[in-house]
Amino acid sequence: MYQFNFQPVFDNLDLLLYGAWLTVRLSFLAMILGLVVSLLGAVAKTSGIRPLRWLVDVYVEVIRNTPFLIQIFFIFFGLPAVGISMSPNTAALVALVINVGAYGTEIIRAGIESIPKGQIEAGRALGLSPVHIFRYVVVVPALRNIYPALTSQFIYLMLTSSVVSVISANDLASAGADLNARTFASFEIYLVLTVMYFLLALGFSTLFGVVRRAFFTYPASR
Amino acid sequence: MKLNRRLFTALAASSLALGLAMPASAADLAAIESAGTIKVGMLVDFPPFGIQDASGTPDGYDADVAKALAESLGVQAQIVPVTGPNRIPYLLSGQVDVLVASLGITEERAQRVDFSAPYAGISIAVYGATGTEVAEPADLAGQTIAVARASTQDTGVTEVAPEGTEIRRFDDDASAVQALLSGQVNLIGLSNVVFLQVDKVAAGKFDKKFDLSSQVQGIAVAPGSDALLEKVNAFVQTARSDGTLDEIHQKWLGEPLPDFVKTAE
Repeated sequence: MYQFNFQPVFDNLDLLLYGAWLTVRLSFLAMILGLVVSLLGAVAKTSGIRPLRWLVDVYVEVIRNTPFLIQIFFIFFGLPAVGISMSPNTAALVALVINVGAYGTEIIRAGIESIPKGQIEAGRALGLSPVHIFRYVVVVPALRNIYPALTSQFIYLMLTSSVVSVISANDLASAGADLNARTFASFEIYLVLTVMYFLLALGFSTLFGVVRRAFFTYPASR
Repeated sequence: MKLNRRLFTALAASSLALGLAMPASAADLAAIESAGTIKVGMLVDFPPFGIQDASGTPDGYDADVAKALAESLGVQAQIVPVTGPNRIPYLLSGQVDVLVASLGITEERAQRVDFSAPYAGISIAVYGATGTEVAEPADLAGQTIAVARASTQDTGVTEVAPEGTEIRRFDDDASAVQALLSGQVNLIGLSNVVFLQVDKVAAGKFDKKFDLSSQVQGIAVAPGSDALLEKVNAFVQTARSDGTLDEIHQKWLGEPLPDFVKTAE
């Protein structure tokens, strides 16, 4: 029978908690920036401008059809060859934003296309300006429609961020790996990491629920 | 006649008893010499020490040393591929006569097998871009250094690095080397064996800054094979001084046998 020994984990809990904070910060920044990229991508894709659409198509297809691991290697180890050198943590953020941006573009595009033409025409009939139509008649209802898909993509992003230690970026998983290298209490450490990632995911879910109630419920409050 | 027969029986019985009293696995020098071959265990998955060439024949530093050893004994080398975990059992069970299998000399192992004087070594050192001025651990402050997480070099660097050193831990040597090659770090903790590969792809761009630790490897025989061990030791001493090992080391590792191997006992 395996003898559990959580002492090394408890002794170094501050290390793991700091790692968890890094993961939260990295994921949160990547979600915000990723949302911006996704919105821009979706707008470009649904716009009538052909070259722009093709450009976004290439971006989305390349990112969605290659492994994230290769993308992050490319950004960290490959780009310095052309003079673009980033610190591991920045490279990790950039890779995550680029990755989630591609998936988000497709998700939000689907949302925008789900808006009936008549709804936009109704907006025009009411005399709303194009900016208002875009904001209240297209984007907010579109986000409402695809909200669950987008937020689960964001949770997935947070879990994916656990591989950034391959480029020596710091996060919860790398904190666990460092601790494991020192104490060899693998089973205990990874068990605790599992629980911590689960709690982080649960936390993000709750946050998304709050945001949803505040901004995306019917009747639209603003 | 009768006496002779009795004498013969007694002799046979006593030699049998002697034979049984000795560990069954000890290699018998006379048997090796009369058979004309020595069975040498070596790794074939540890480049450049032990590899298999395109036709599947074992090759590498260890293979060349094994051949030179056999030559000095006046026999043929019969190379038996072994793996890291099973190399000592192969030796102790008598399936091979000697191990030329990059076996690092440690105290634990020395209790199980008898080692010759070191014939090879691996050193861990800090390497970096030529021109980066780092000569001792204290110079690491303010520098960024890559290591493979949980490796010997990670332990070594972490131990000596002063406050203000940024240690970047990668999953393996290959990633750490990538970080060095792509200019993400200036320095790296690496073994001389892997550094040789780095120097091949980026000749002259990086050099050694300072040593961290070293590990010497010995030829191993089963306990009780004293006559054989004596011959092996004589071979190692000669080969270290007459340039045989320098030549083989130059061939596989790009430099003569390092001094820390030559001077080690």
